[in-house]
Amino acid sequence: MPFTDREILETVRMIELETLDIRTITLGINLLDCADPDPESACEKIYTKIVQHGRNLQEVGRGISADYGIPIVNKRIATTPISYVAAASATDDLVPFARALDAAAKACGVDFIGGFTAYVHKGFTHADDALFRSIPRALKETQHVCSSVSLATTKAGINMSAIARFSDVILETARLTADQGGLGCAKLVCFCNAVEDNPFVAGAHIGTGEPETVVNVGVSGPGVVRAAIAKLGPEPDLLAVAETVKRTAFKITRMGELVGREAARRLGTTFGIVDISLAPTPAAGDSVSDILELIGVDRTGAPGTTAALALLTDAVKKGGAMASSSVGGLSGAFIPVSEDAGMIEAVRVGALSLAKLEAMTSVCSVGLDMVAVPGDTSAATLTGIIADEMAIGMVNAKTTAVRIIPVPGKGPGETVEWGGLLGTAIVQDPGKFSCGILHRRGGRIPAPIQSYKN
Amino acid sequence: MTRFLTSEDVRRASGRVIEIEEGTIVTAQAQDTARDAGIVIKTRSGSYSEPAPSRGPDAGQAQRSLPHLPEPPAEGELASYTGVVITAAGRNRPGVLAEITAALANSKASVLDISQKVVEGYFHIVLMVELPPGSGFAQIKSTLECMGGPDDYVVRVMHERVFRFMHRV
Repeated sequence: MPFTDREILETVRMIELETLDIRTITLGINLLDCADPDPESACEKIYTKIVQHGRNLQEVGRGISADYGIPIVNKRIATTPISYVAAASATDDLVPFARALDAAAKACGVDFIGGFTAYVHKGFTHADDALFRSIPRALKETQHVCSSVSLATTKAGINMSAIARFSDVILETARLTADQGGLGCAKLVCFCNAVEDNPFVAGAHIGTGEPETVVNVGVSGPGVVRAAIAKLGPEPDLLAVAETVKRTAFKITRMGELVGREAARRLGTTFGIVDISLAPTPAAGDSVSDILELIGVDRTGAPGTTAALALLTDAVKKGGAMASSSVGGLSGAFIPVSEDAGMIEAVRVGALSLAKLEAMTSVCSVGLDMVAVPGDTSAATLTGIIADEMAIGMVNAKTTAVRIIPVPGKGPGETVEWGGLLGTAIVQDPGKFSCGILHRRGGRIPAPIQSYKN
Repeated sequence: MTRFLTSEDVRRASGRVIEIEEGTIVTAQAQDTARDAGIVIKTRSGSYSEPAPSRGPDAGQAQRSLPHLPEPPAEGELASYTGVVITAAGRNRPGVLAEITAALANSKASVLDISQKVVEGYFHIVLMVELPPGSGFAQIKSTLECMGGPDDYVVRVMHERVFRFMHRV
């Protein structure tokens, strides 16, 4: 065992002091064989199948954590998009399907289950339509279910009519969960170029190209990258910063690979991917914003932030790709505003505006994530915000997402507490101008030309 | 393809006994419905018990292709040993190292490498250890990690594979 003391202490320090952990082991379960003309039977099958496969997920996670000494924060389940499964049932009300998912999540002891999902980037099937109608009530009536929809892709363009409908879904969900500060919307996300192997909620689901069951792992580690750059100090140039991030990302990713393989072995299933996203938490030091500030901006949101984030995201991918041949999911840096203490502070001091955040999403791995806006934000404004984000993803052939929470009864600058991993948010001002005509027009924005890239 | 027997299937069934194919999953609701109606669900070979989950056609292949990263040699003498890295830190006092190594000796573990430093009354020990075949990692981990205490010292036991994955290409 040729390890030096330095290597050993480095690993121990990462885990003990720099909050290195495996953010999630997500078990993907195909539910297509649960389709049934009778909706009740379909729900029975869904519940039974998920519980059969996911029953020992917690135990396996705890076992790996104990054996290897690496904390595994969350164990989760992702399923086939429910709109595919429910299509055979020809029912307008998909809330019972959400209840079945919720009950199964509870039986397996997982905190979130993703898969109340529809793909509508080109248009709606009957089942997609039913799912859209059911989302607000499903999120109100269940605790663990997360919902996601695909509204645009680079190949298909942007479905503006679907975005307009989705804006109404967001507002209705916020209204139904008003007593919890619109918390339902924190479990609701829309995508451009949705990935089919994403282990992170709220967007977790298993696409139709995935195997019967699969283990996907999401690693974290902003704290480790932050510590490495802090140790580097402000003198070395940006090549040195990129190199440091790459080396650190390599080590973090290897932990994900180890845990993913071990989880797959113990569950007897396929190991899918490691998602090498830097996923912040509200915990002190576990912040992507801190990394950007250490790279060299006064506050996240100041001029230079997008450039720093571009360096960070790219270096994480390069280091991660060297460490694992199974990199997938979203992979990059997450910038969920309410879940990152540094980002919240940047909003509070006025450094980070919604406009700057949007610019940052063109180089980060996801998009506008956990952004709070006033409860009286119009559907047209939401449509505009989502469409802008989808356009960034479509043109740059990358995944972008929007998870936005219109907080009922709150105006710009006010604070809302969701608690736990979801953190605290300061309501941001979307501005007083909207896009009523664009919202009303509907239709699609055609797919972009993928040549002449300037 | 997973086969299911749902409560609807039970309600539609005629007769007091439903015979299902091997590998069929009977939903919880179907089991309740059958019990309430006094219907027996059985397979050809006997009474029903839930089949092991079928993880799909890819699972077997995936299991075989897993280890190709920095793993210890698959053959030879080393292969059957479990490598363990132990770190301990705390207030220095006579006998700390002896306590830890005595626990290791009890478990028939052999120490491959050891380093210790004391700075201003606090010690730090790193031990690389091999466990003989058949001796349980979990057992030695729980024994060692229960030693010391908050005012004395803390021990951390980790599988060697963690370090191999993190520090070797």
